[in-house]
Amino acid sequence: MKRTTLFDAGYQWIVFGRDPNKAENLIDTNQYMIRTANRCLLLDPGGTELFAPMLAAALHYAPVEEITDLFASHQDPDIISSLGLWDQALPQARLHAPAIWEGFLRHFGCEKIEYVPIEDAGGTIDLGPVELELIPAHYLHSSGNFNVYDPKSKILMSGDIGAALESPDAPMFVEDFSAHVEKMRFFHQRWMPSNRAKNDWIKRVRKLDIEMLAPQHGRIFKGDDVERFLDWFEALSVGSAVQV
Amino acid sequence: MKAHIERKKSQFVVVASIATELSDVMVVAKEISLAAANAKAIAYRAGEKARGFQPITDFINELARETIELVNQINEQASALYETTVKEYRYEQANKQFKTVSALSCEAVYKDSLVPIAAQLEEELEEMRYQFKNQVDQLLDQLSEIMHPARAARVIAANSRIEASQAGEFLQSLLTVAESVDKAAELMYTNVQRCRSSMAMMEL
Ligand SMILES: [Fe+2]
Ligand SMILES: [Fe+2]
Repeated sequence: MKRTTLFDAGYQWIVFGRDPNKAENLIDTNQYMIRTANRCLLLDPGGTELFAPMLAAALHYAPVEEITDLFASHQDPDIISSLGLWDQALPQARLHAPAIWEGFLRHFGCEKIEYVPIEDAGGTIDLGPVELELIPAHYLHSSGNFNVYDPKSKILMSGDIGAALESPDAPMFVEDFSAHVEKMRFFHQRWMPSNRAKNDWIKRVRKLDIEMLAPQHGRIFKGDDVERFLDWFEALSVGSAVQV
Repeated sequence: MKAHIERKKSQFVVVASIATELSDVMVVAKEISLAAANAKAIAYRAGEKARGFQPITDFINELARETIELVNQINEQASALYETTVKEYRYEQANKQFKTVSALSCEAVYKDSLVPIAAQLEEELEEMRYQFKNQVDQLLDQLSEIMHPARAARVIAANSRIEASQAGEFLQSLLTVAESVDKAAELMYTNVQRCRSSMAMMEL
């Protein structure tokens, strides 16, 4: 599992991905970690198949007992089907996840971990050196869905928004935006159901000062590419499976 | 590992199929209970001619009651066993994954932090396997216990036939009762036997 540090000033943001041992028929995912002096938050920790490589990679940064928090942006299997295994590994941890998905996510197994429901309006996670904002991103694509915004590092973990389908050895960052667009178009048109939800999210997110937009699949957008992405997404019509 | 997963799968299937067999036994027990009520009514109308039949109806009734109670107990035991099977399966999976983690993390600074948690899991798993075996034994005991009323029902059915032969014009009705008790008991016997043999096939 490739490990890349995104931010390092008092605490760290690390992205894990491009697992070389992943089966070919599984979609490649990015997992994120925020590491403070004595705590650790894993964002969208991934599917069952990814549990072992992910925990092994996390152990480079933190001992198990300091992995105190998990965050699941939504209920998808590639996001959090590993929950039942984390439940065994981190019996003291808390899972921050959409309130509406609680009864569903518990099917993955969540007996020891505390489920902290995020209400529709959003919320915060206080990690000590930074208070993370949970930004509503409902219907993009999941009906209960949140992004995580870090006002200090100015990183927005955007879940499936900004995702691209590409080869598992692709670089971590977008280098040529116009070339990258084609890898995102189908995913956004087909998986995102609502233009209204999309515009609401864009309005919300434009108010934030974002240096990196970090999706759960594909590459991370930096600097001006963040704005380019928002413009592109704004102009894109989504919900393509229903012909109007 | 493959054989192991197969074994687990078969446990799920066996435990689930016990519930199905038992719901059939329950239906049968209720049929017996109904047959007893019928027999009682007939015996009452037959009066003196069916005097020998009256205690038999009480027996039949008692038998049905006992069977229903046992089936309820077995159902409870089977669902407890199912819960243990699910839990054990989850723990087995985690145990396997933890072994992969330790193989993958040999260069990680904090690799040792998983050791106590993995050890604890292994311990709990051992405990669970023990519990599983215990629950299976208990269930087998209960299943052999329920064979008693099934066998007794067949004896009673035979006696009923003898008594029926003295009941004059009520012969046919009482024979029908005896027949239905016998059929029900036989069904029950077959079902429970099937549960027991499928459990025996489940490798422990
Ligand atoms: Fe998703
Ligand atoms: Fe996803």
